[in-house]
Amino acid sequence: MAVIVLSALASCSAQAGDASEADCPIEDGELFVLMAQSVPSATLLPCIAALPAGWTYGGSDVNDDLARFWLDSDRGGIHAVEVSLAPACRIAGAVDVTNSTSEGGVRAYLDEFDLHPFSANKYFVFPGGCVTYRYRFGPNAEPTLALEADEAVTFGLRTVLVRQVQEELGLTLCGAGAPPCVGGD
Amino acid sequence: MDATTEGIEQGRSKGHAHPEQRRRPSGEPPALPHELGRSGKFFLLMVLYFILVITGFLLFPTLREVFERWDHTRQLWITDLRSPGLTRLMLVVNGLAASWTIRVLRWTVFLGLIVFRRWRHLFVFLGAIIFTEIVAYNSSSIIARPRPLGVQILAGWQGYSMPSRPMAGLTVSAVGATYALIMAGRSRSIAKWVIGFALVVLGFARVYLGVDHSTDVVAGAVFGIAVGVASFRWFAPNDLFPVSYRRGKAAHLDIGGRRGEAIVAAIRDQLGLAVLDVKPVGLEGSGGSTPLRIKIEATDDEPERYVFAKLYAKSHVRADRWYKLGRTILYGALEDEKPFQSVRRFVEYEDYTLRLLHDLGIPVPRPYGIVEITPEREYMIVMEFFEGAVEIGDAEIDDGVIDQGLGMVRRMWDEGLAHRDIKPANLMVRDGELKVIDVFFVQVRPSPWRQAVDLANMMLVLALRSDAERVYAHALGYFSEDEIAEAFAAARGVASPTQLRNNLKQDGRDLLAEFRRMAPEREQVSIQRWSVRRVLLTIGVLFAAFLAMGLIVSNWNAFA
Repeated sequence: MAVIVLSALASCSAQAGDASEADCPIEDGELFVLMAQSVPSATLLPCIAALPAGWTYGGSDVNDDLARFWLDSDRGGIHAVEVSLAPACRIAGAVDVTNSTSEGGVRAYLDEFDLHPFSANKYFVFPGGCVTYRYRFGPNAEPTLALEADEAVTFGLRTVLVRQVQEELGLTLCGAGAPPCVGGD
Repeated sequence: MDATTEGIEQGRSKGHAHPEQRRRPSGEPPALPHELGRSGKFFLLMVLYFILVITGFLLFPTLREVFERWDHTRQLWITDLRSPGLTRLMLVVNGLAASWTIRVLRWTVFLGLIVFRRWRHLFVFLGAIIFTEIVAYNSSSIIARPRPLGVQILAGWQGYSMPSRPMAGLTVSAVGATYALIMAGRSRSIAKWVIGFALVVLGFARVYLGVDHSTDVVAGAVFGIAVGVASFRWFAPNDLFPVSYRRGKAAHLDIGGRRGEAIVAAIRDQLGLAVLDVKPVGLEGSGGSTPLRIKIEATDDEPERYVFAKLYAKSHVRADRWYKLGRTILYGALEDEKPFQSVRRFVEYEDYTLRLLHDLGIPVPRPYGIVEITPEREYMIVMEFFEGAVEIGDAEIDDGVIDQGLGMVRRMWDEGLAHRDIKPANLMVRDGELKVIDVFFVQVRPSPWRQAVDLANMMLVLALRSDAERVYAHALGYFSEDEIAEAFAAARGVASPTQLRNNLKQDGRDLLAEFRRMAPEREQVSIQRWSVRRVLLTIGVLFAAFLAMGLIVSNWNAFA
């Protein structure tokens, strides 16, 4: 029982609060190595630059074809924004909003936009991958909250992580920006 | 000669009376030494190793770097074998760790246990799985080890890699299935080997496919085995809850092999009796011990005869503890029952009650003493076997037997005792003489309620083989009308042992009502007693149940 409680507490502390496993810079977190393994082709990895007041880190889920983490908001609700990384996105029919983003080398798209309650999908397409911000706010949340979330999340270069793994462990983080791995094509 | 010297002298003369009796000298192992087998020692070492590795991982990052490189080198030994054909084969093998494979296995076990109504095993299995899933998930998040670096990953995965959650999940399910569904013995042994082989092949496949490090798969398997084995050994030990597909209670403690030899040697050395044969007896009526009938070789003083023995192990003490916890919650502090802390205390108590009743002249079996099988783990209490006696339910009851039964209760009342388990199975008749057995529940200075219940239960047992009027008339010779009225005001529901309640139902007559009609009217004695301890225990158990339900619901994806 003690083990369950301790591990539950440990998991809680890792999932909520000011500091989180998804905080930038990406070379400081094990989660990003796992994300990079999830989508080996992705040249960028999403991370949290700074959480505005009222936002908390919700948790993460990473598997062999998708990596995601999500944010909770005191106004937008639980799981208000989900940030996912995949090799590609379906952007057919989405509106190109590249001009509205400050991220370099990235094309941005928007679809499934609705104001009441606010919901939208925003796609950031870059070489080898695509990051989706999935906004799903509660009924009384202001749409302007989306701007806070936009500012909270940014991108880190995968090559930085590849270099760090090589330097620290002498091992290759297989995928974009890394030399070929054992058993690779 | 002072009292101490006298005791020593008596001990010596006793030694002469039993020429084979022998004191175990210091340093000599007991009859059945408690030993961890080779596999047990290896397993313990593995658990220790992983605790050290994980602690090192978390506390010293440098150690982690060294370990990653070391593990990577081992991984390359296996991934260097990659070929298209072998990869296809390994992908098939990896299907064993697929979530659907594990779910099908778990649901099959659930259904099997439900069909065979093996509820305890079902809950233990469920608990082991939940515990494994929660701890494996959370420890993998804390350790936060990425998937193998430097090799192409060829199969699906989810989350961090250490410990390997699919390995842990499959292992605890397979081990649980073995302990819950397969009978102890050869078939279970074979099943363990099959599981071991499957895990080795699966572990190899996962390392080959680059989805786990070698340490991850071993850690997952060791953890799954540890939880599976410990859960079943602790909460559903085979001695008490054997897996059996025959009706009735089977097995208990296995008395063959090394234990059988130890029993013979221990009785010879400690009691000076030569054993000719040991046979389990009356297993159906016994849940708290393993009852044995032992044939003893003739001596100069006594002919060949049988003795009765009850073998107690730690598992019986644990079962007694759970039983008393249940009774405290259900009925309160009425019986003021405290659990025993060790099997030694357990057997010492029965030996004491047996000698006490025997000294008082109550017709209980003659005590022979306690025999140590494994220190602090297994003991046996040996007593006279009532050869030729039949259970009271199968005996002819005459006025003499009725008087003996009532007189026995009167004697216990006068001596401040209660038997607390008066039922047909514990009353034997031989040549018109009533005997009482199983004195484990005897209590000194019990509550008046308990003594009253003893009287009611004795009168009901006697009336089952005669009639209420006759027993009542005899009872007036030993007890006042008010005392009889108190007995039947106290004897309600669970106050009577299950066997007696069942016999009363089968009998058809409402003997309880008949007795109550004859006795003066008296307000019923409440069984329920409340205390702070009972309230706290009940809240604690309800909270634990609530927590368990919460854990099941929050981990439902592990099953569905």
